[in-house]
Amino acid sequence: MSLDLNKVAGSIASMASDLVLQGLKRVDALNAAIDKFENPGDLTTLKKRLAQAKTSWLLAEISGSLNQRFEPSELPPDYIVIATDGSQIDIDRHHPARCCLVNIGRVYLHYGQNPDCFLESEPTLFSSTEELVLKPEQGNPGREISIEGPLLGIKRTVEEFRYLSHLAGKLPAGLPALALVDGSLIMWGLMSKDLPDFVIDAMLDKGVLKYISEIEKLNFQNQLALASYISFPRSTDVINSLRITVCPHQVPDCDKFCTSIDSGERPCDILAGVVDRELFWACLKDNQRSDVFISQSKISKTRYGCNQIYFFYIKAGIEIARVEIPEWVACRPELLHLTHSLILDQCRKGQGYPVALSEAHEMAVVSGADRQNFFYLVDEYFTASNLSTSSSAKSVSKNNRWI
Amino acid sequence: MDETSLRIAEVTQASTAGFFAQCYELFDLPALGSLIKCRDGKNEIVAVTCNARTSSLEPGRRPIARGKTEITEEDVFRSNPQLRQLLKSEFEAVVLGHSFDNEYYHYLPPRPVKLHSFVYLCNPDEIAAFSQSLEFLSLLTSARTEIPSEELVAACIRFISACHAEPATFTAAAGKKLAQIFVDDYPKLRTILLRLKL
Repeated sequence: MSLDLNKVAGSIASMASDLVLQGLKRVDALNAAIDKFENPGDLTTLKKRLAQAKTSWLLAEISGSLNQRFEPSELPPDYIVIATDGSQIDIDRHHPARCCLVNIGRVYLHYGQNPDCFLESEPTLFSSTEELVLKPEQGNPGREISIEGPLLGIKRTVEEFRYLSHLAGKLPAGLPALALVDGSLIMWGLMSKDLPDFVIDAMLDKGVLKYISEIEKLNFQNQLALASYISFPRSTDVINSLRITVCPHQVPDCDKFCTSIDSGERPCDILAGVVDRELFWACLKDNQRSDVFISQSKISKTRYGCNQIYFFYIKAGIEIARVEIPEWVACRPELLHLTHSLILDQCRKGQGYPVALSEAHEMAVVSGADRQNFFYLVDEYFTASNLSTSSSAKSVSKNNRWI
Repeated sequence: MDETSLRIAEVTQASTAGFFAQCYELFDLPALGSLIKCRDGKNEIVAVTCNARTSSLEPGRRPIARGKTEITEEDVFRSNPQLRQLLKSEFEAVVLGHSFDNEYYHYLPPRPVKLHSFVYLCNPDEIAAFSQSLEFLSLLTSARTEIPSEELVAACIRFISACHAEPATFTAAAGKKLAQIFVDDYPKLRTILLRLKL
């Protein structure tokens, strides 16, 4: 039988009631957060305490001010936005063909006197052992890691950056441009302790970071910024930093002072439950952006080098979005201003979400029907080559739903 | 095939009695009632255009209004250059006859046009030659299209008459032929004649 919604409706109603109660509690927490954001006290002291703090949550490092707001600069008369997005067909362990596919959508939008555009998708099949397995370099210890599941998602991200760098390399000289990706620039998926160094090396150093650096190098001839756009962010980095302002201890240390106190009872819990987007929804006016913060994520601090990730929040129409940028964009005012104004313009043109990302997604998306057709095609070629197409009993059982 | 003919579209769906074609340029649609042609080996298939539309390339994506803050319609496309890649202009065509060995036949061809056949606008000489005989009116008046058939018939006769040395003479002859076809349907005949410059 299919899902019986009647049986779960009661639980959904109860969930909704709980959220209403939590929402009422969060109003006080949000007001407290706004107060601390507007009146943080001495900034130098706060920055020092943030640097010394040992917290169990991720802090945002304040790079400039805490609460300054910025208006967008004027749009350049001619400019280009490029974007990539990807989707994948993972290895089906019930199918005899051990292969996967990554489909990358590419978008090039030229605005101004001579508008131009191209929208493309580029599917790549991975089927050889070299393509499907990561292994340590010769002579080094370690087991092989199969590229599937979450690791295929990371591989897809690498491909998105590879194509973005390729697109950036073809930009006409002299025009300001923004290279845009969806989601975070921080490769959170690589922070798993289970992943050996050679995987991080392949995906990050020889992957994403290599391509981000290639994009940076193009700034010698172009004004080219790189940013990622996170819609409806759930991050709490800035709120977590505000918790430091209410911590009664000179050097905040959660493990030392607060392990014996129940969650919700700690002094800083007066800000609990609030996320950064709620704070900036209240504190930013339309089109404004926040100041730039530095992500304290371990992978960004220890491995990204000059591509270390900074971020800001932007009020772009219907929502607060988090925009992540590498250090070389954050530290060059002209690139930072360009990122702010072009992202706003993209959101305006895209009904609240950057149009380049939305079209890149449309180019990349692999539907359930596409996936089915892909495996039909694989079966056809296998049959023509007299290869077995028999799948697992489980797969057969799912496809032939007998009674 | 006359090299001077203008290639405007490509066949995307075909049957014996008609076809659908997608224009190469957005909005570059032939006028209602225009004569067009497709090549099929040595033969040409002649058809009349009807029921044109511009819509989303993908059935699941509907165009939305984008011009609230723009000054002109052109500005909408300048500000949204991706639109030209996401929209398509297409039209339906009703077959009126075909040619074989340089002679026109005003009845259906033996086979439909092939998918991806190029669609050309007929030039005035070809239109005049094709409409020397008014037998094509038989297929034209029996066409079943989404638009009212009276509109299609009148538009086609107006279009063809402009390619004749004496348009009024051609229109009068076509009117007489229509009177024979619609001998039992005076309201329909009247509707068409009111739309002709008689």
